Amino acid sequence: MINEMEPSLKGTEYDLYFGPAHPGSGNFGVKLKIDGEIVVSARADPGYLHRGFEKLMEYRTPIQNAVLSDRLCILEPLNWNLIHAEAVDELMGIDIPERAKYIRVIMAELSRIQSHIIWYGVFSIGTGFDTGFKMAFGYRDYILDLFELITGGRVYPAGYLCPGGVRRDFPNCARDKILKVLDKMDEMVKLEELENPALGARAKGVGVLKVKDAIRLGATGPVLRGSGMKTDVRKDESYEIYDKLDFEIPVRKDGDAYARYWIGIEEMKQSIKIVKQALKELPKGEVIDSAWKKPKLSVKMPEDEVYVRNEVARGEAAVYMVSDGGSTPYRCKIRGPDFLHMIPVLEYLLKGAQIADVPAIYWSLNICPADMDR
Amino acid sequence: MDTKETEILGEIKSKFKVDGRIRRGQRMWISTDKNKLMDVCTWLKDRGFIHLSAVSVTDWLDEGIYELTYHLWSYDDNILVTVKTKIDRDNPAVNSVEPIWEESAQIHERELHELFGVKFKGNSDLSPLFLEDQKDMHPFRKDFDWREYVREKFYNKENKRETIYYD
Repeated sequence: MINEMEPSLKGTEYDLYFGPAHPGSGNFGVKLKIDGEIVVSARADPGYLHRGFEKLMEYRTPIQNAVLSDRLCILEPLNWNLIHAEAVDELMGIDIPERAKYIRVIMAELSRIQSHIIWYGVFSIGTGFDTGFKMAFGYRDYILDLFELITGGRVYPAGYLCPGGVRRDFPNCARDKILKVLDKMDEMVKLEELENPALGARAKGVGVLKVKDAIRLGATGPVLRGSGMKTDVRKDESYEIYDKLDFEIPVRKDGDAYARYWIGIEEMKQSIKIVKQALKELPKGEVIDSAWKKPKLSVKMPEDEVYVRNEVARGEAAVYMVSDGGSTPYRCKIRGPDFLHMIPVLEYLLKGAQIADVPAIYWSLNICPADMDR
Repeated sequence: MDTKETEILGEIKSKFKVDGRIRRGQRMWISTDKNKLMDVCTWLKDRGFIHLSAVSVTDWLDEGIYELTYHLWSYDDNILVTVKTKIDRDNPAVNSVEPIWEESAQIHERELHELFGVKFKGNSDLSPLFLEDQKDMHPFRKDFDWREYVREKFYNKENKRETIYYD
């Protein structure tokens, strides 16, 4: 409006660099072309965290790769542990013990909960609600303590979910501690659900993604569900024990930043439900296939190829593993959900947005530069 | 028993005369000729495979071929189809599937162009994505020795402490 009234006040077009030095943007940048207050175009600038995992894995055996797979995503290492382990299991035809399957699901869901808590935290701070950020990271620490107890590492489990099962059994006190932490998580969900008018005003109607565009741009997971598509790899193509568990897929039709934020909260509730069920039915027995109990340095993999899909906190993750009969994978393609979310989806949503809405759009996508760059 | 997998496989086999197999439930592999790729992909997209999960290249160094794989998912049928095609390794060029899966195909192909040097004809933007100052080299090729590259580029032979890397 002001531009029309007074020619001398008319803004000029300029470039704005959002990241990589921006606090909270992660190792990732977006170059925005801005006219006054409107983003004319956005171009993602990835690569600051490119470590070439796909190539590194070609030089390493499955046991080494299990440790390496932690680093695929900083915010949810256990989920990436799981998908790598599943790929090797399927390639080599390993039938893992029942108890290991339950432990895998419990750990993956706990990891999903803490990842969604971080999502809530960074989304809050991005929209100016600092208390949310501090709350989130405080509550996340309860889960990190559990990870330390069970896997030995607070953030990186060092290949805890390994081919053949899991590295070691739960300690005796784990069950009670997990239940106590879940009570804390219920508390956290209640806090998140409190009506926050400021957050609503910042996020409602912002960054609207229609379901048709979402599919065209390759969105998956919470982003696609926020646009009204009912899909979840855990249901569509159930792995481990997800077909025995009772849980819902939360869906919102609006497709804006607020819808995605709500999907995150609803999914946390579902994950809490899943962990409680799995703990209740946790069978007794071995936790690792006998052939993998003592990890051998060189195990020949049969000549074959597999494509394994999983639902990680951010969307659809997949590993395409090809073996030529050697002890290392011949090719290991990793499909990270954020590769699509942070390049085509983000560029599309930012185009035409107000400059003040950039953080709300950016963090509503549940971003993680690590699994984009790989 | 006629499952969805056998039904789709039968349809595509009779229409395009391609090889295919069902690996397990919800998993199907189809090998096609490079010239038929666009027709097969267009047909699959219309059949419901609207989600392009990933595109990948496998570098078979000894045979001198690149094997391209397109992993497609159908939200209606819950089936994953992998379309495989082979191209020449020395002159890797293939038609882009961007007209079919649009942006999601574009970004996957841009990544592969940088890492493997495959030329996707018809892709709107094949500019560098991850790497910096690495013109005309494709680090994910099997014949690219990254250990050698790092030694040459980042270590100093004269430095006594780094001689350990040269022996």
